[in-house]
Amino acid sequence: MNKLVTFALRRGGAALTLLGVSVVVFAAIHMIPGSFEEVLVPRGTPEFRQAVAERLGLDQPLPIQYLTWLGNLLQGDFGLSLVTSQPVWAEFSHRLPVTIEIALTATMLSIVIGMPVGIAAGLSGGRRDVATASRLFSGFTLSVPDFVIAGFFVYIFSKYALGLTIGNWVPLAVDPVAHLRGLVLPAVTLSVPGIGIVAATARHATRAVLQQDYIVAAQLRGRSWRQVVMRHVIRNASIPVVTVVSIFLGYLLGGTILVEMLYSIPGFGRYLFLGIQSRDYTVVQSGVMIAAAFFILLNMLTDIAYAWIDPRMRQQESA
Amino acid sequence: MRPLFANLFRDRLVLLAVAILVVLLLSAVFAPLLPIGRPDQIGFGPRLSPPDLANLFGTDQLGRSVLARVLQGVQSTTLLSTIAVLISGLISAMVAMMSAYYSPVSDEVFSRISDVMFSFPPILCGILVVAVLSPGTVSAMAVISLVTFPTMLRVVRAATLGIMKLDFVVVAEISGVSFLRRVFTHILPNVSSVIAVQLIYSISFGMILESAMSFLGIGVQPPVASLGTLIRDGMSYMEIAPWLTFSAGIVLSLAILSINLLGDGLKRLVDPLERA
Repeated sequence: MNKLVTFALRRGGAALTLLGVSVVVFAAIHMIPGSFEEVLVPRGTPEFRQAVAERLGLDQPLPIQYLTWLGNLLQGDFGLSLVTSQPVWAEFSHRLPVTIEIALTATMLSIVIGMPVGIAAGLSGGRRDVATASRLFSGFTLSVPDFVIAGFFVYIFSKYALGLTIGNWVPLAVDPVAHLRGLVLPAVTLSVPGIGIVAATARHATRAVLQQDYIVAAQLRGRSWRQVVMRHVIRNASIPVVTVVSIFLGYLLGGTILVEMLYSIPGFGRYLFLGIQSRDYTVVQSGVMIAAAFFILLNMLTDIAYAWIDPRMRQQESA
Repeated sequence: MRPLFANLFRDRLVLLAVAILVVLLLSAVFAPLLPIGRPDQIGFGPRLSPPDLANLFGTDQLGRSVLARVLQGVQSTTLLSTIAVLISGLISAMVAMMSAYYSPVSDEVFSRISDVMFSFPPILCGILVVAVLSPGTVSAMAVISLVTFPTMLRVVRAATLGIMKLDFVVVAEISGVSFLRRVFTHILPNVSSVIAVQLIYSISFGMILESAMSFLGIGVQPPVASLGTLIRDGMSYMEIAPWLTFSAGIVLSLAILSINLLGDGLKRLVDPLERA
């Protein structure tokens, strides 16, 4: 019973956060100078504008407009784009998978490269050269902004034909090889800070785990060092990594804008940025909501992953 | 404080970071006295000339000195982020200590607020703010504050929760020490290192954010200089004059790296695991 209550509270907390996000997004969009009807009818008579506003419910008080918008959102109705008059969801549905694919690939790269590097550095203990090297490594990956890395790649790969393409996004179904060629650079660019965070977290966690009594106990039980590392160190050190990876992935859905612009990728981030420039407010408000909801959902999944990796968490929840 | 700083500067990476920062900022401040041309001096050198001894970073399409422009950019980007973070970071640190310590209700309220703001992807938050306020220095600082304060709130809250149940705080409370006095004399000194580390990380993140927004054209507007604007403008000449983008990009990365290394060095001092 208690477990159920905790479960409900956690999910309720996430819903409350999402509700807060919706209030902030709605308020921000309605604080933008130049209202919806100004975008829809830039040059119309006041009467015509009035008619459009009435038809869209824009003459209603703001709280009513907010509730209507929220109600529609909950039913999966994101409204119509102010610019193209197409359903916003239709506009998103073929752009979201592109961004999600790039974000997931970048996250995989961060784990695949960052984990071994971090664990190896952590296993070397307090050696000073290793510590200095890891700090410089993490420092560099976290300090070079993605658009600087992308600019560098664009320069190198447009000057020399190295097999990877820029500005030519081919869907997977059309040509898998060309698709992969277009995917590598954006994914690598986005993975750089991820590699740094994962490596730094894994290194710190590994060093913390090595000081635990159960490591000594396992060794005393006659386990080989290899077994200790495989069974205890990696498993326990991966717990904090799960958190940073989920925050990293969650941030990527709204954090690919610059990379998508630089590599001309027809994704969600670039569409949102172009949306705000053409003042397509329905697109922007639903887009920000989707990105935030994705982030919150990932945090929830992290809690579940915690329970799966660490049995102590399960006991805490049921206790 | 003295032993802390002595230990901090024993760290070679911190020394390196401080050296880079001092060189960058001093040369930015004294740039008008150096023989590198003014940032807006058209025809200081030949147009688009590659880096050489006369122009260390080369010149741009109008013959302006790239070094002078980059130094102006690094000064303005660093200053902007530092001011924004100092104001918002110190306020949110105070709010975090008080709300976490005052009552579970205030704690819950402010945690929820920081959760909400933490859920916004930084650049999207920036785009929204700029749409409301129109691009400029004020909105750039507002964005940096909005994006960095939730993390500050979270880490200071966590540190405060760990301290407030300790005996010396409880004893102070029982002996009738006032709430504000307890916050400032018992809790603040014990979370100040956490605040300092977070302030430094926020400044470097603010610099990334500001230059990303300037790169998109929605950051500070001319005549205010920004490395992001220089990087973007250089992209048009990438094929024939890559030094325009790269000199700005490298200096920006170096400045951010040294600030991050400084934060990292400070964090290691207070982390028992790293001290061992």
